[in-house]
Amino acid sequence: MADAQKLVIMVTHGPDQPELASIPFSMAGGALASDVEVVMGFQGDGCLLAKKGVADTVAAPGCTPLGQLLPTIQELGGKILVCSPCCLSRGLTLDDLVDGAEIVAAGRFVAEITSATNTLTY
Amino acid sequence: MAEIEIQATAVLDARGLLCPMPIVKIAKAMKGLEPGDVLRVLATDRGSIADVPAWAGSTGNVLLDWHQEGDALVFLLRKGGEG
Repeated sequence: MADAQKLVIMVTHGPDQPELASIPFSMAGGALASDVEVVMGFQGDGCLLAKKGVADTVAAPGCTPLGQLLPTIQELGGKILVCSPCCLSRGLTLDDLVDGAEIVAAGRFVAEITSATNTLTY
Repeated sequence: MAEIEIQATAVLDARGLLCPMPIVKIAKAMKGLEPGDVLRVLATDRGSIADVPAWAGSTGNVLLDWHQEGDALVFLLRKGGEG
């Protein structure tokens, strides 16, 4: 088998852009199914996707609904990291986010990205 | 690809699932099989025609055959050896 690989997926679009909000989760699922470690980073309005209950409201034509994808990503071991200043400006605390999500700042994002095989940004 | 007679060890019905769920389900099903076992997969997502071979190639498994049966795409995957 190939050496261990890690993919960081940065998500900057929120529920008002369901296709761009869904595709990164589809990529994460494909990566995890292929034995690639996945870290998802949520910034800007992307943070809203990690808010409890929001994923259940997001579905784009042709895409697996986010309410199915998000728990699948977490079940397969994908990490959910949410930008601290973006949460602050939106009044989000850890209690508002899905179980397992972490609120992190730039240093953690940079550490994840620089240790990844590849990074995708949506 | 020519249709060939292969005895499947297990069957996965992924019909109706959209990207990336067919390969997510395939990966889960494969974990319960032994090297050399064959998984027969039914899917309807046309993206699977490209997705399943790519998945097999990147995970050390082997796509033995794929063909269409009615509305369903049928994939036969042999689980690769460990390591």
